[in-house]
Formats: sequence, structure tokens, C-alpha cells
Amino acid sequence: MSASTYDSALDAQLPLGCDGRPIVLSTHGLTKDFKRLRAVDNLDLSVCRGDVFGFLGPNGCGKTTTIRMIFGLTYPTKGYVQVLDHKLPRDRVEALRHLGGFVDDPMFYGNMTARRNLRLFGEMNGPVAEERITEVLEAVGLADRGKSKVGGYSHGMRQRLGIALALIHNPDIIVLDEPTSGLDPQGMKDVRELIRELGARGTTVFLSSHLLHEVELVCNRAVIMSKGRVIVQGLVSELHPASHAVKVLTGDQSKAWEIISAMAAPGSARHDEDYIVVDSGDGFVPEMVRRLVAGDVDVLAVVPAIEQGLEDMFLELTAEGEIAKSAGAPPAGAGGGK
Amino acid sequence: MGAIRREFLKTLFQKRTYIGWAGLFLVPFLITIAFRFSSGGPGSRGGQQDVGEQFFQGIRTNGMYVSIAALLALATFLLPLLSSMSGSYTIAGEAENHTLRSMLMQPIRRGTFLMAKWFAANLYVAIGLVIMGIAALIAGGAVFGLHSITLFSGQDAGIAHALGLIAASYLFVFFAMMAVVSLAVFFSTLTNSSLTAVAAALVLTIIFEALQAFSVFDFLQPYLFTSHFSDWTNLFRSPVTWSPIIKALIDLAVWIVGMSGLAYWRFRRKDILS
Repeated sequence: MSASTYDSALDAQLPLGCDGRPIVLSTHGLTKDFKRLRAVDNLDLSVCRGDVFGFLGPNGCGKTTTIRMIFGLTYPTKGYVQVLDHKLPRDRVEALRHLGGFVDDPMFYGNMTARRNLRLFGEMNGPVAEERITEVLEAVGLADRGKSKVGGYSHGMRQRLGIALALIHNPDIIVLDEPTSGLDPQGMKDVRELIRELGARGTTVFLSSHLLHEVELVCNRAVIMSKGRVIVQGLVSELHPASHAVKVLTGDQSKAWEIISAMAAPGSARHDEDYIVVDSGDGFVPEMVRRLVAGDVDVLAVVPAIEQGLEDMFLELTAEGEIAKSAGAPPAGAGGGK
Repeated sequence: MGAIRREFLKTLFQKRTYIGWAGLFLVPFLITIAFRFSSGGPGSRGGQQDVGEQFFQGIRTNGMYVSIAALLALATFLLPLLSSMSGSYTIAGEAENHTLRSMLMQPIRRGTFLMAKWFAANLYVAIGLVIMGIAALIAGGAVFGLHSITLFSGQDAGIAHALGLIAASYLFVFFAMMAVVSLAVFFSTLTNSSLTAVAAALVLTIIFEALQAFSVFDFLQPYLFTSHFSDWTNLFRSPVTWSPIIKALIDLAVWIVGMSGLAYWRFRRKDILS
């Protein structure tokens, strides 16, 4: 797969952010109303060159509406999108020359083969060589189905073809709306690896997802959105609150709960499905295991609860009542999020 | 040209394209068979008591009239139907299949996209008319032979002259169908359902045609594009009666430009939510 090429002279003219890297995609007071419904509310976000940027939020929070405005499919009620030095909706065509990707499910002409679809769409942004079509089909694992009609494709295969189309011109920025939606576990793994690879090659990726784990796995920066508004934005590592929690599974969870809750600080232990989750400090885990064993409780597993911090924060931030109270936001979330 | 080529390629990948063309190819053969194996005709049943009757009656002795009769028979329904379908699919059909967003996420101006679609839709109708004309000459020529025709004004027109008049008639009808296509394209920008757009364009066309039957609506006649669907018959006079033809062309041009302009105005600012 070819590395992304970009104009370094242009980069010098772009505003800087993120440790001195140029901002290649940004929204400025972006707002979209559907009649009385405010789907996106004064959205300001910045994506820098080389970011794999997570656009995180629950279903219906305005992610897809935002992406539609990024691609110039819908017009903002207020504000604008900037792609490199092009403002949307005014410079829509120029901006789209630097963007690839899809919104919602990628859709193609079912009565044409995958190769013909790629050529048809790809040629709208310049010539497309047959070799390039082969290359992108190989990159997404569809090389042997290139001559099949897309009408016979599964949802997952269409997702992959959508990514192939996004890659075909090596755009500066790739915008993917829930690209692992509908994929089997191996497909999800492949797509995430592909996104990481794109990021490593310098392509800026804007990844919309409602899966926290996915964003944590592949993104370096992220924004969490709720009710059409940005709740928090920054490095994923900074968004992730420091957590020393561990999940404990034993042969007798009732007895283990008595032992653990007695030794842990008040409020630091809780149940989570089959596990006991407890915030651990220095030397806590070895002492806990010793006491459990001494209490004749079989310790089956003690694992770090790595996802706990971000997940708790996400749920807390996007909880309806809290957001409405803190932001005073009107109801939002139209726009057909998946 | 690339955008038009792309849009026409998409048309060629649809089965309904060939169904429509096959229908236009078959009708002249059906007309020819009907006249070959029956003693009556549309006129003998009490209908079509207009200038077109001469063409129908002439078929039994001259296959040249088949192409004219086919035009008379189809200009009021099948051709407007195909034109409505062709125009309606442009935007609404793509929206229905969710490919509209895929197309508009590529760097193409909405105006260019719409005009390419409008052009491809008209090209479909034009090719359909060419197919119909050729089929009519083949069928009529094979069964009744091709001879000079008698004009309404009584003079004879040789084969070459008659072919020229027939080509001009088809061109006129094509121009009339462009008005229907433009109307359908406009409706296509208002909905995400191609069937709704087809229905809207066709119903309006049929209502316009029905209004012609009532004298109380005579004041509307000059402004309805359907009033001009048979004005091409004025070509079959010597000298040609140009006045109604020119007026018809101007009225049709107003409809074509007006409806296409409205479609462009609507589509340019349309939120693509499909």
C-alpha cells in the first residue's frame, strides 16, 4: 500500500496544534438543526496531521451528522468545516479532493463488479490505474472478489470495499464512520490493523465509533461527544483516567467479597457482573491474594481492569441527565447515526 | 463529458433501460402486424378522427407511415412514461439506493452532477426514439414497402423528403419529451423515492393532457407542454406551417429551462440524508 503523500509547503501555511503539527481538519462552531432538533451544537474540534482521531459517542449523538457536514452532504446551520485550507461548504469540491471515506454504510452499484465500482467512483477524482485497484482490493482482503458483483456482497464486504475506495487516491484524510460495524472478529481485527498502518504511514484518520475499546486500540487522540456537543477532547492516554483497578474472580465470590471489602478502602470495591473490581494500591494485590488463600478461597483470576477508567468516564459524561444539566442543551441527536 | 459518460454507463447497467428500449422496438412491429392482418384500424373504430387518421389509413399501402403512426400512438403515453421514468431515477433513484451520498462524497459539483444526469436521461429517450424509428422503417418496409408519401396539403413527398420529415418529427417529439424529463428531474430532487417522482411527473402530464378535452380550460392550452405533443404534424404540409411549430418549440424550451432550473436550485442546497 502506498504511503500518503502531502504537500509540505501547504502544511507550513496551516495553523498548528497538537505539539506543533498542522491542523488538517477542523470544525468551527459547527451547528446543524433539523427543524426544532439540534443535532450538532457549536462543535469545535481539531485533527492534526498524522492523527488517528477517535470520534466517540453514543448512537444518535450527532457523529454521523457531523461527518455528513465534513463531506459536504448536508449544510451547516451555522459554522463551517475546514479541510486543509479549504472551507466547507464553500470549497466543497476542493476539500473533497483531499478526503476519502464513507458515512453510514458504504453503498455501491450492486449490478456492477467491485472493480468497476472502484473505477467509476475513483475516476471522479482523477485517473485510476488497474494496478491501483488491485492494490487496494488486496489491502482490504477482497482481491479474489474484485470481479464479483457488489449486489452479492455481505455487509462486511461492503465495509471493506468502502475502505478500499477511501484509499484509492491516497487522500490526506480518511474519514470512516464505524468501519468495523457488521464485521466478524477477524474482520474487525484486520480493519483496525489497517487503520493503525495508515496512521503509521502518515495518513490522518478520523474514526467515528461508539466502541470505546476500538478507539483505545487504534487512536492517539479522541473527542467524546454527547447530545451534539464535545464533552472532552485530547490525547487518548490523557482521556484515560489513571486506574489501578483489578478484577478478581474466585471460587467463592461471597466469601471473597467479605475479605476484600474488609481490607480495601471504603467504596473502592464493587461488583461488576461475575467479578469483584477493587482499586489496588502498592502491595495490595499480593496481600489480597494471601488473605484469600488463608481464608480457603480459590483465586481463579486477578486481571487489570484496564478499560474501567475510560468506560466509567464515558458513561458518566454521556449520561443524559448530567449532560442536560451541565450543558443546558436542547434535545439532540438526529441524523441517522448507526 | 466524463460525468455524462459515467451517468450513461450507469444507465446501461440497468435492466429497465433495455425493457424500455425493447418496448419501443416492438411497438412498430405490433402496429405493422395489426394492419397486415386486420381490415380495420384506429379510425374504423370511431377514434383518432384527426389529422393522424390519414397516416394510419396509409399504412396498408406504404410502410413509411408506420414510423409516423408509431409516433402518434406513443407520444401521449408510452413516451411520456419512459421519459418520466428516466428523469425520475436521476436523483430520487440514487437516493433510494443510497448511492447518491457515495457519488456526492466525490469531488464533483452538484450542478455538474445534476446536468450530467439530466443529459443522460435525455440521451436514453433519444436512443429510444431512434430505435423506434428504425424499427418502424424495418417493419413497415418489410411488410408494405417504403414509398413516397402524400402530405396533408395533397402534394407527394419523395422517399428522401419523407425520411427527412420523419426525422424532424422524431426530433420535435424528442424536444417535447425533454420537457417531461425536466419535469421528472425536478420532482426527483424533491423526494427520495423514484416511484413518487415518476407518479408525480406522469400524473401531471396526464392531467395536462386531460385538460385539453375541456373547452373551459382552453385559456391554459398555450402554456401546457402537452398541447404541443402533436404539433409536429404541421411539418407534413407544403409549405410547412412553421408558426405553430416555432411557438411550440418556444413553449417547450420554457418548460425545459424552467423545470431544469428549479431542479438545479433545489438540488444545490439539498441536504443529502439518504
